[in-house]
Amino acid sequence: MLAPSLVFVALLGAFPVLSQFVLSFTHYNMKFADERGFAGLDNFARLATDATFLQDFWQTVYFTVISVGFELAFGLAAALALNRIGRGRATVSTSVVLPWALPTVVAATMWSLILNDRMGLLNSVLVRLGAIDTPVVWLGPGLAMGSIILADVWKTTPFVAIILLGGLKSIPDQYYEAAALDGAGRWHLFRFVTMPLLRPFIAIALLFRTMDAFRIFDIIWVLTGGATKTETLSIYIYRVLFRYSDLGYGSAMTVALFLIVFLMSLGLLKIMKVTREPLQ
Amino acid sequence: MRRKRLDSIGLWIARGAIAAACLIPFYWLLNVSLSTPSAIYKMPADYWPRPAVIDNFRAVFETGQFLRNILNSFVVASLTTLLTLALASPAAYALARLRVRRKDLIMAVFLGVAIFPAIGMIGPLYVAMARLSLIGRYPALVLPYTLMSLPLAVWILTHYFSTLPRSLEDAALIDGCTPAQAFLRVILPVSAPGLFTSAALIFIFAWNEFLFALIMTSTPESRTVPVALALFAGLHELPWGTIAAATVVSIAPVLLLVALFQRKIVEGLTAGATR
Repeated sequence: MLAPSLVFVALLGAFPVLSQFVLSFTHYNMKFADERGFAGLDNFARLATDATFLQDFWQTVYFTVISVGFELAFGLAAALALNRIGRGRATVSTSVVLPWALPTVVAATMWSLILNDRMGLLNSVLVRLGAIDTPVVWLGPGLAMGSIILADVWKTTPFVAIILLGGLKSIPDQYYEAAALDGAGRWHLFRFVTMPLLRPFIAIALLFRTMDAFRIFDIIWVLTGGATKTETLSIYIYRVLFRYSDLGYGSAMTVALFLIVFLMSLGLLKIMKVTREPLQ
Repeated sequence: MRRKRLDSIGLWIARGAIAAACLIPFYWLLNVSLSTPSAIYKMPADYWPRPAVIDNFRAVFETGQFLRNILNSFVVASLTTLLTLALASPAAYALARLRVRRKDLIMAVFLGVAIFPAIGMIGPLYVAMARLSLIGRYPALVLPYTLMSLPLAVWILTHYFSTLPRSLEDAALIDGCTPAQAFLRVILPVSAPGLFTSAALIFIFAWNEFLFALIMTSTPESRTVPVALALFAGLHELPWGTIAAATVVSIAPVLLLVALFQRKIVEGLTAGATR
């Protein structure tokens, strides 16, 4: 019964993945197709000295660390506030699920309506309050990455909140009752009952979010197109593959990105195992 | 007692703030979609449309092209959902219940597909689809989307099937059914809740996907909704009112799915996470 899906994955998935690995060891630019040939590790050596690649790498790291950090913090706060909600559950959880369920392109469009310097909501509110005299270019130099992170945090915090809410629901009431009988205050209940039991869920949310954030493409593509120091690795790969038609180098970057994400998730899974064992 | 009451007031303020933070961008989108061009470019802007007009929505449907884009998205997302479930549910059943050799390796293959950067798969798949002359047609999107949503669907359904009592199919197996028959006749009919959850998640994924849709569609008529929205700007000179109206229209199906299935979606995501 596994056969259909495995055959499907082999036919459709194995071919592009393997061809990326093969291409990454070749010189192959579609614009100079006759210069095609084996490259050894040339493409990977070029990565290490490519200033754009290195800059985009650090911008991707910055985006990932800051946005995932905020998403975990806000997601945890939201999950705690929404746990044991009685009345109004459907309304509140529909409004929380909604940003996550939307197309990223839609979310990005909504945020460009808010952040736009000529017509945006944010500037209008700040001007009305007297906090600023002239509209700020939120998607311009210096501020653009922060604005993108704001939009991404809005869009994906719900995902983290939903996962952590599931974690909170899985903690039996007896644990809290027993700890309260022993005289534990609220902070102690949170610190010594909630947090340890929630840790595997935090790790899962962290894993999924980090993997996605590191491969971020669409929200940046719509908001800035990668301008003013907001380009991430996926956008650079898009440029190299589809604008410069450099299949060899682009594939090497794809393989590098895959290895980075793969190693990151292995690392996170390891941390997860370590934190899970004492519980079982 | 008093402290309890203060607590619950604080909690409700927090919940209200969370809902507001989620909903304000939607309100602003709606506001822009109902405003006239001169009102949109007012700084500071009004907080509600004065006057409220539906011209922007009329402009969206003027050519019928956006309707075509919506239809495309709908067909692609539905076909992806059906194909993914057809492939994933037997696989998940086998992983949950049958003795499978090299189970770890199989899970690793699914995980590998899920981790590989989508941007890298597009090139080779584009070449393959072009050879089959499928560019700009539904399979060019449905097949890659199925590939990408398969791992999550297998994951959620494996978890779901392993929560069902074994006695369900034991009776069928004793009566001489093969595992495949037991799966088709006994397990699938009682698995509607799990299948619905996965279906909603797959549909939302396919409805939202942008990167493949951007590259695999060749003409305005073959675009899906997210691509049409993103490329609106290129057609005219940033008609923000029309973009906002088109965005409002494109949200409607997702809003409907979320409102109907929010409980199931939340359960599906958390079930996936507890494994």
